[in-house]
Amino acid sequence: MDYKRMTLLDLHKAITDKEVAPFDLVKYAIELAKQDKNNAFEYICEKEAFEKVKTLDENKKDNLLYGVPVVIKDNYSTKDIPTTASSKILEGYVPIFDAEVVSRLENEGAILIGKTTMDELAMGGSGTNGHLGAAYNPWDKSHKHMIGGSSSGSAAAVSAGIVPISIGSDTGDSVRKPASYAGLVGFKPTWGRISRYGLLPFACSLDHVAYFTRNVFDSAYLLNVLAGRDNKDMSSSFNKVEDYTSRLDDSLKGKRIAVIKEINASISDKVVLNAFNKTVEYLTSQGAIVDYVSIDSKILKSIYPTYIIISSAEATSNYANLDGVKFGNMIDGDSYADLVIKTRTEGISEYAKRRLVIGSFSLLKDNREELFVRAQKCRRVIVNSISKVLEQYDVIYNPASPSIAPFIKSTKNKIADEYLIADNYMAYANMGGFPSITFPIGFEKNMPFGANLSAKPFDEALLLNIANQIEKFTGLANIIAGDDDGI
Amino acid sequence: MKKVSKETLIIATRKLMMEMSDEEYDKLTSDFETITMQMDLIKDIKGVDDVEPMTFPFEITNDFLRDDVVEETITKEDALKNSKRKNGDYIVLPRVVK
Repeated sequence: MDYKRMTLLDLHKAITDKEVAPFDLVKYAIELAKQDKNNAFEYICEKEAFEKVKTLDENKKDNLLYGVPVVIKDNYSTKDIPTTASSKILEGYVPIFDAEVVSRLENEGAILIGKTTMDELAMGGSGTNGHLGAAYNPWDKSHKHMIGGSSSGSAAAVSAGIVPISIGSDTGDSVRKPASYAGLVGFKPTWGRISRYGLLPFACSLDHVAYFTRNVFDSAYLLNVLAGRDNKDMSSSFNKVEDYTSRLDDSLKGKRIAVIKEINASISDKVVLNAFNKTVEYLTSQGAIVDYVSIDSKILKSIYPTYIIISSAEATSNYANLDGVKFGNMIDGDSYADLVIKTRTEGISEYAKRRLVIGSFSLLKDNREELFVRAQKCRRVIVNSISKVLEQYDVIYNPASPSIAPFIKSTKNKIADEYLIADNYMAYANMGGFPSITFPIGFEKNMPFGANLSAKPFDEALLLNIANQIEKFTGLANIIAGDDDGI
Repeated sequence: MKKVSKETLIIATRKLMMEMSDEEYDKLTSDFETITMQMDLIKDIKGVDDVEPMTFPFEITNDFLRDDVVEETITKEDALKNSKRKNGDYIVLPRVVK
């Protein structure tokens, strides 16, 4: 049994045929997690997982997730299991409740085996600034290439074959970018489609539950499990939940696909562009209508600064509760104010602090109109431009990143078109709440890279259908990094 | 965008109830230089001043009231569980009146 490459259907068959018992599966996954060389784990839930698997309800054995080991990013609340969001300020915090996502997974019979590392408080895109240090890309044993973030550990765990699926969160592209760097399917459904109850809020207007799988079917199935109204999250949607696996094999004939010209024009890597163009040829050959459309490059360049200002400003409010008093790593002081200042100064590291100050600065009375309100207006212009394209087309399709995973120590020109557009455009899907999925389309220097599709809000079934058809063409489903010793 | 002074950054940091070192402020100043350049690149986008600020991805309305039923709340033990310093039913903080 080649566990590391198995899909949810494979695992389900193996369990149903009694080829493997859930307990042994969980035990094996935990062994793999313990051997992890990519700094993917904040906490391995060994004791908790063994207890859960022993009490699995056999009535749930028809669910594909029954007995399947899963991991979740460390910014989801997990009852009686430490939750740090990879920040020193939350060391020692043990939530008293489960996030809705955790409850739904467990109700299906999935077994949580670990909490994964991330960029501190979900702020960052490199997977390098959590309190345990950088997470590594399993495709690069020299540990020079980044895995990307902020959902770094969740990406590494699936890419290394430790678990078949993992939960992350996506505020700018924090699942869809690492998915590109790790050869995975990274899916962020519509804003409100999955309850965020129990997800530590970073920027509420942009935060989404999102996740990694190794194939599109598993992504569709997981949405069946996670989607739906939750009264504990007032932003969760009442819209009807579909069977998202039912349209995966629909024909591409007549599907209308827009490629934004300016995004591709900002990419210099010919290998990425060639692989992308081959998928476009395939789509056309199957009867899809693919058009290259234009969006003002100034609007595309505004996505990143708009995202930084809005997300940082919202973070100042959401993370104001990190004072160490009711929970977290309190540092004593001479007064209440002194205690809070010491706790936050020592508990939040440099990168996250800088993001918070950007937010605080943009909210100062003298700057509010020029920065925060202007960014909110820019957001509307960005979303209007994308929505206008989606009035004419079913999906928007572009490379998910301009290259393979960059080196951890690389520095980029932050006002270059490639950085401002190709490297950061995917945040438009957070701004407009559009469902958005990344999947692998090729390799360069033995490292994967992906493409991204986005659709109208709540059009997940169509989005997954087109992604599934492209996956059939590329044949890049169920890929894992390295050999058995590459954990 | 106007020049960002270190004094203003210190005000913004103190509002967050935290402190930063001189080295951290130097890096932050460099961050702001980048953000300023990025904001300058986009300052003349057409139509920005003609739209309303966008605060959420799309409009959702919750125009209902939940049923008026008593719901379970957390216990005192749970509420205190994660506090690092406590005494009986209280979280202990530094004295206000000394």
